[in-house]
Amino acid sequence: MSDSDYKKVPAELIKQRRLYAATIAFIAVLYITASIQTNYNPLRFFFHMGSFFDFLVHGLLPPSYKLSEGLGAILAQNFGMALIPTFIGGLIAFCLCFFASYSTAPNRVSVKIVRALASFQRNLPSSVWLMVLVMAFGVGTSVGLMALTINTLGYLLRGFADVVDEVGNESMEAIDSVGAAYLPKLFQCVIPAALPGFISWLLYAIEINIMSSSIIGAVGGGGIGMVLMSHWKLFRYRTSFGIILVLAANVIAVNFISNYLREKVIK
Amino acid sequence: MPLDNNNTDAGNNILSVSGLKKHYGAVKAVDGVGFSIQAGEIVTIIGRSGAGKSTLMRCINRLVQRDEGSISLCGTEIANDMSHRQLCEMRTKIGFIFQHFNLVYRLSVFQNVMHGRLGYMPTLKGILGRYAEEDKEKAYDIIKSVGLEEQLYKRASDLSGGQKQRVGIARALIQEPVLLMCDEPIASLDPVTSRTIMELIVSQARERGIACLINLHQVDFAREYSTRIIGMRQGKIVFDGPSDTLTDSAVAFIYEGDSQHFSEADSAGSLQKEEYAFV
Repeated sequence: MSDSDYKKVPAELIKQRRLYAATIAFIAVLYITASIQTNYNPLRFFFHMGSFFDFLVHGLLPPSYKLSEGLGAILAQNFGMALIPTFIGGLIAFCLCFFASYSTAPNRVSVKIVRALASFQRNLPSSVWLMVLVMAFGVGTSVGLMALTINTLGYLLRGFADVVDEVGNESMEAIDSVGAAYLPKLFQCVIPAALPGFISWLLYAIEINIMSSSIIGAVGGGGIGMVLMSHWKLFRYRTSFGIILVLAANVIAVNFISNYLREKVIK
Repeated sequence: MPLDNNNTDAGNNILSVSGLKKHYGAVKAVDGVGFSIQAGEIVTIIGRSGAGKSTLMRCINRLVQRDEGSISLCGTEIANDMSHRQLCEMRTKIGFIFQHFNLVYRLSVFQNVMHGRLGYMPTLKGILGRYAEEDKEKAYDIIKSVGLEEQLYKRASDLSGGQKQRVGIARALIQEPVLLMCDEPIASLDPVTSRTIMELIVSQARERGIACLINLHQVDFAREYSTRIIGMRQGKIVFDGPSDTLTDSAVAFIYEGDSQHFSEADSAGSLQKEEYAFV
């Protein structure tokens, strides 16, 4: 090897570097155009910081927890609104996910169809689903639950199908080789292997739904969000702030418990 | 398995394969393979990686669909168009031992071994995993005979490599197969464990009267443990004979394609002439 060999950078490497540079430039241009389009000024927050903190101190503090509805009742409802869509969505996702994984599906068409369905349900946020459902059924908690269930099913189905994919062909091949039929193979091999993954996704769904159920409520889906909005509209900011703090504590607590359970399950 | 009266095979052929072909795209993985195995035989297939050994085995129990050729087990044709039920029934008669053990690692040793009975059970019982008491007792006996009784309720993921393969062996044995196919059973194990696992496979097969077909990389193990050796190269059988007739030059030919030493191997009279163009 001669001395100057290291200077001969391979053409692909140069190409790759140029691609990186072009990508970064492209993102910068995108950011600037988007800022102009939306009239967004990142410095605005700092210019108005004074009035923001003024509002924080005088408008929101101290938070008030005097609610006619009862804090316990709305918290329970918030939990319910997170758990019910998770259970129903999880149950349907469990039944459908085997049609959405190449390793267990009867044919490739079923994988494409089920995955497309899941992607459609997932890619519209639950607040959009709610608007559609409100037009059909009116406002209320059950409509909120429906919207959450549709969205939850969307990402649980995708998540479950990926978990089934990850079980891998090796153990399934072994179960095939002993002459087991399809359903025993699912229940004796695929499901035991996929169970921690399923549970992990369910916990994630509860975390997400605790948060979404509050947003859902604000646009007509009932639950804690509706209570929050009704106080907000009456300028009861301290009570609203109280609800927000409870909601935050609730979300953090659920995340904490869920992480703990996930660690236990995955081991 | 019911015996097919129309078969033309010799009476005690456990397995016969003829004209077997399988290609993946342009690659001919198995290119016209034919052989048969009698009861009590322990046959090893040697050859380089990619010679088609694994594909051949997977074609036999139809984990892989063959392109051409016929296969029969105990005189019954393993047809390409047999129903799924018939296919499952046929597979119960063939135990399969994998290089990577292919266990369900979250389940216990006992549960993994019981999987070997799934092919015999009605669907609902299989789904629920309600195994018959006598099957469980048989499983326990087999687990004892492979030396895992201490690990009975241990998770498969907590076992060592050799122990995992013992589970694989037990799962195959509880099928009460007529044929045991082992696809590089010791390739993931250390040399000492490899020896004990090979000894276990061969002694169990002898004891239970199961014919054995083993894919191996280790020529010395093949010579030591098998009654007959088949050499494969590029999807074709280039050697088929009793293990003591496998000369070093034949091995060289199987692995390196060294045709200079070929005449010597030929004089041993065991290279399959019709299979090989150089002759």
